[in-house]
Parts: sequence; C-alpha cells; structure tokens
Amino acid sequence: MNKRKCMVLMMVFSMVMMLLSGCGGASNTSSNGDKVSLTFQIWDVFQQPGMEDLVEAYVKDHPNVSIEVQTINWDEYWTKLEASASSNSLPDIFWMHTNEFMKYATSGMLADLSDLYGDKNYYTNNFPAGLVDNASYNGKVYGVPKDWDTIALAYNTDLFDQAGVSYPDDTWTWDTAIEAAQTIYDKTGVSGFLAPLDDQSGYLNLVKQAGGYILNDDKTASGFTNEATKLGISSWISLQMDHDFSPKQATFAETDAGSLFVAGQGAMLLLGSWNVAPYLQDYPDLKWDVAVLPRMSNPVSGDGRGTIYNGLCYATSAKNKNLDVVKDFLKFLGTEEANIIQGKSGAAIPAYNGTSKYWVENLQDKLNVQVFEDMMEYGTQFYNAKSKSQWNAIVRDTLLEVYNGTKDLDTALSELQKTVDGYLAEE
Amino acid sequence: MSNETTTSSKSTRIRKEYFIAYMMVAPTIIGLIILNIVPFFKTIWMSFSKSALFGAWEFAGLKNYIDMFQSSEFWKATLNTLEFLILTVPIGIALSLILAGLLNAKIRGKTVFRAIYFLPMVVAPAAVAMVWKWMYNTEFGIINTVLRAVGLPTNNWLTNPSTVLLSVAVVAIWSAVGYDAILLLSGLQAIPLSYYDAARVDGAGGFKQFIYITLPLLSPTTFFVLIMRCMASLKVFDLIYMMVEDSNPAIQSARPLLGMFYRQSFEVGNKGYASAIVLWVFFIISIFTLLQFIGQKKWVNYDI
Repeated sequence: MNKRKCMVLMMVFSMVMMLLSGCGGASNTSSNGDKVSLTFQIWDVFQQPGMEDLVEAYVKDHPNVSIEVQTINWDEYWTKLEASASSNSLPDIFWMHTNEFMKYATSGMLADLSDLYGDKNYYTNNFPAGLVDNASYNGKVYGVPKDWDTIALAYNTDLFDQAGVSYPDDTWTWDTAIEAAQTIYDKTGVSGFLAPLDDQSGYLNLVKQAGGYILNDDKTASGFTNEATKLGISSWISLQMDHDFSPKQATFAETDAGSLFVAGQGAMLLLGSWNVAPYLQDYPDLKWDVAVLPRMSNPVSGDGRGTIYNGLCYATSAKNKNLDVVKDFLKFLGTEEANIIQGKSGAAIPAYNGTSKYWVENLQDKLNVQVFEDMMEYGTQFYNAKSKSQWNAIVRDTLLEVYNGTKDLDTALSELQKTVDGYLAEE
Repeated sequence: MSNETTTSSKSTRIRKEYFIAYMMVAPTIIGLIILNIVPFFKTIWMSFSKSALFGAWEFAGLKNYIDMFQSSEFWKATLNTLEFLILTVPIGIALSLILAGLLNAKIRGKTVFRAIYFLPMVVAPAAVAMVWKWMYNTEFGIINTVLRAVGLPTNNWLTNPSTVLLSVAVVAIWSAVGYDAILLLSGLQAIPLSYYDAARVDGAGGFKQFIYITLPLLSPTTFFVLIMRCMASLKVFDLIYMMVEDSNPAIQSARPLLGMFYRQSFEVGNKGYASAIVLWVFFIISIFTLLQFIGQKKWVNYDI
C-alpha cells in the first residue's frame, strides 16, 4: 500500500512538474552575476546577419553581455509583441514599425530614449526629421531610428529587351509606363505591370504624387474624400482593373506580386528598398534593375513626384529589468559606426545621415540603387496614428471590395472617411 | 489484504483509495479549471466589455451583442460556418463508413492500408493547408494543370466565391476521413460475426446485411463520430485561415465565425466583440449537440 501510494504520488508530482514547466519561459532576460543575456527580436530573416554583425561589434567591447537575435515572421510579430506587452514580457530590444508605434508609445510600453546621448538634439542632428518624428511622441523620443526605405520602380530588363521598349528613366510619367506595359504585354504575353492592392508599395505613392493625403497634419481627420487622394487611389486601381496588362486581384491573392516578379511573370513592380538585398541573394539569375517612380502628369497640386519613405526604430520596454545595459546597446545602435556596419551588411539603408552610401556602394554594381537615395528628396513619411492598427485592416478590406466590383470607389472612400474619422476622434 | 477488518480501518482504506483517485485526476482537473473553465467565464465577462489596448477593459453592457447581431459580416460568417458543416459532415461520414467497411475486409496488407489512410491526421494542419493551397492554385496548381491536360474546364478554386468553401471542405474531409474510419472500424469489429452468419443463412445479401446489421449495431460509434465531426466543422478556423487569406476576393464567402473572431481579436483589436462571437459559436454548438442527443433515442441502438 505504501509502495503504491509512493508511486502514485511520484506520478502526480512528475505530471504537475511537466504542467508547470510548460507554463514557464515568459521572462527572457537573465543575469547571473555580471553576465547579462538579452533577446533582440526582429521580423526580417534576411536582416538577421546584419543585426548579428551589430551584436558582434558591441559584444566585442562588452564581453559580459550576450545578445540573441530572434526572427519572428512579420505575420506573427505583432500578435506576439502585443501578447508580450500585455503580459509584461517584452523582448529586451525589438524593432518597432510606424504602423504600430503610436499604439505602444501612447500606452507607456516603450522606454523614453530622449536623453540617451545627453545631447537633446542628437536625433534631429543625425537622422532625417521624418524618422525622428515617427519615433517620437509628446516631444519624447521612444525609438532609435534604424533605417529608412523608399519605393522605386523595379523592372525586368529581359522582358523590356524582348519587347524592344527602352528602360524607365526619370522622364517617365504614368502614361509612359502604361504605354510600355501595354507594349510588353502585347509583344511578350507576359504581364506588363504588377499592380496589386497595397498601400506602402502601391497607391500611397500615387496619392502623394497627386498632392493628396490619408491623414491630415494634426491627425484629426482623414483625407479619403480629398480630390487628390481620390485621383491617386483611382489611378492605381485603374492600372489593374482598366488594363489587361496587369493580373487581377484574384491572382495576387494566390501568388503575391513579388513572387510573380522574381519568376519573370511581370515586367514592372513597385518595390521597397528592403527587398533589394533578398532578391539579389535568392534570385541571382533574374535580370532586373530599378528606376525612380514615374511622375504623375496631372497632379492636383505639386510637381507629380513622390514616394513613400518609412523607417524602423529600435525600442525597448519601459519596464525592462536590465534597462541600463539595454540602453547602452541602443545607444550603440544609433551611432555612426553601427549604421556603417548595417549599411555594409546590405541589410537596410541605415538611417544615420551620410551612411546610406555604404548600402548603395554595396549593391551599386548590380543595380541602380542610387535611385532610392535620390527619391528621398521628395519622399513623404508613411503615415501613422494611435488608432492605425485598428482601422488599417478595414481600409484594405474596403478597397478590396472596389477591386471585386462589389462597391464603387466613391462609396468606399466616403465610408472610409467616416470610419477612420470616427477612430481618430476617439483617440 | 486481510478480509476481516474493523469498521474504522475499512473506512480508512476507502478514504485512502479516494485520496489516491483524486490525486490521479488532480493534474487533469487543475489543468481543466485553469485552462478551460476559468477562461470560459472570463470570456463571458469580456463579451460584456470593451477592450482597450494592452489588457485594459471597460464595461459595455450588451453593446457587443447588439453590434454583432446587426452586422451583416457576422450573419455571413454564420452562414459560411453552417455551409461548411453541411459540406463536410454528411459526405465525410458516408466516406468513412465505406472506408471502414473496406478496411475490415479480408485483404492482405490491411494494416498497411490502415496506416496510410490514417496518415493525413498525423500531418500538421498548416502543412496540409499549404500543400493543398498550392495544388488549387489557378495558374500553376496541379489540379488545374491536370484538368487542362485532359481538356476539362478549370476553375479558380480558392478565389471563386461559389467554390471556395467546397474546395476547403474537400481538404477537411480528406484529412479526417482516415481517423473517422479507424474509429468506425473499432465499432465494426465489435459486432459479433454470428449475426452475419445468421443473416446469410436467412438469405440476406451483402447490402441487406449492411443496412440491417452493420448500421444499427454501429450506431453508437457513428453517433460519436457525428458529434465530433459537427463540432470540428463548426469550430473550423485553421484550414480556412491558411488557405483563404484576407486579400482573397472570395474571403467574405469563406470566412467562418472563428475566422471572424480571430480577425476581430487580433487584427482589429476588438477583443470584447470577439468574445461575443465566441459565445455565439458555443451557443450554436450546444444547440446542435443537444438536438443530436435528443435524436439519439430515435436511431442509436445500444444493445448489442
């Protein structure tokens, strides 16, 4: 009886232990004695080597710190981060994106990094103003700017040669682009322009070119029903719907535009600079190049030039247990040295003023990547707002209905105007 | 163990046995309470609240329910879920019945076949969804390629609102038919052969034997499989989520109730509203199960 009871208790004990061990693992930081180990969470597996270069450079001078870079796929990154934030187990260092920054900053989740460098003007002196703005809230800086990216026109040189069309240059307008796309489609049967529903790599650029906006300057109202905004969005939608040289949205749902482009199934595509290094690495046989975005020839205001730029920042939790060490690493990440390392690794265009040339140099002989830098001159920051994460999906879904033909553009835009204004008012 | 016991040592023994029994179920019960029961009540409370960022809540009364019942997206999702149920359950059970019968036959290599048909259940749902999605791809998928080669018309299976749920239902049936067949197989093997012998003597052919012996005596197992299939189909999420993404033109014709829950909870961030949706699913499943338990008196035969 005793032996049996003993065995039973042991079994129960081991089962309870298994249950509990499954519950643990929430906290990632540990520090035993002097050694500190930190977690660095990112979402782009292609940039992992670049981030690890940065870690290596830092750890060389700080041997008591070890930092592990973890990549979580973009699709799950934000769900996971939100869960981590709610349970107070945020990673030690993580990438923050325009789309979600406001949500975290206004809820006090991020650590204040304004005084990281002692000099209050360090950020504005060394990084583009738009990036610092997007990493700030209420006059305080909550993220160290990491990089910036712009959107350019990528094109398949093989298809252009086959159709006998000359390559895009800075004289191109959207009319030229449409003509070229049609010619390529007629002569080669391959899609001349890939125009999926996308904001940053799609209609937003044309909205800017037309002189429109999605959010007004003080973020109190949206601009969906603005004439220029409508021109931008309708021009982009028309590329897909009114011409046969672009696949329809149903095709893009099954195979995304990027996959079609690298498979040689599309001659032109709007491409963000963050895709350049991965494409070069994964598709070395693809013959392609990049050019500045075509100009809009009939904007409501402005000269018809525009591109969307965006930038990530590094951030940490306001309640991090190793704030001193983490802040020191963040401080390193915002130095010129760190940005040069990032640029040379080809991961992304480093944010520090003057360091972008290292990224360009890295890739210059393969592609005309200088255009990304050139366009920064007339780039507009990708918009953000506190409630953006709540209505971003609604914008996409409503515009999707226009592509499906179940809603006309005017109705969609006025619906969006009302919905987004409602969210903005609640902020 | 001595047979002659005094009253006190007998009750001590009984108490000891009870104690051991409780200890053995304790891990499961604790797990059930912490991971199922408490969250269930929390969900009920959440459905009457409005969620703010990062876990803050404020009471909102019936607003979530009112919004929910007035939302056309919600009713469409309910219809999609019920349509999925109708597509997967009858055909699925019929196919697994036939398969179970075949796997019970006197053929060589029976065990191998049983293992093969069980395999789909072992593969991760995400992997199943990805591969089938590629097979259904309108331009490059193998299904359309084969159809084209034979000269039959093709379809944009996953982006056509009229075929999208059917396409996903095929995958759901494919992945579950083996498992259900194994379950039904165990029920089949419990039927004494003497019944079949008697029927054969009386002159009943294979088909009559099936209708009058197999089906009634298999009904408890069939009942179990029916309930499990119904619940699984009403709770469908991962297959549809992985095969039909948000940018798919047919998404409105495919998104099930739990898909809407996921979207509201994680993409839009409206967790209170999402909780109301979950409770609606719970209600539907309860009604279905209740109806089935009432109906079992009519057709389920427990005396073997």
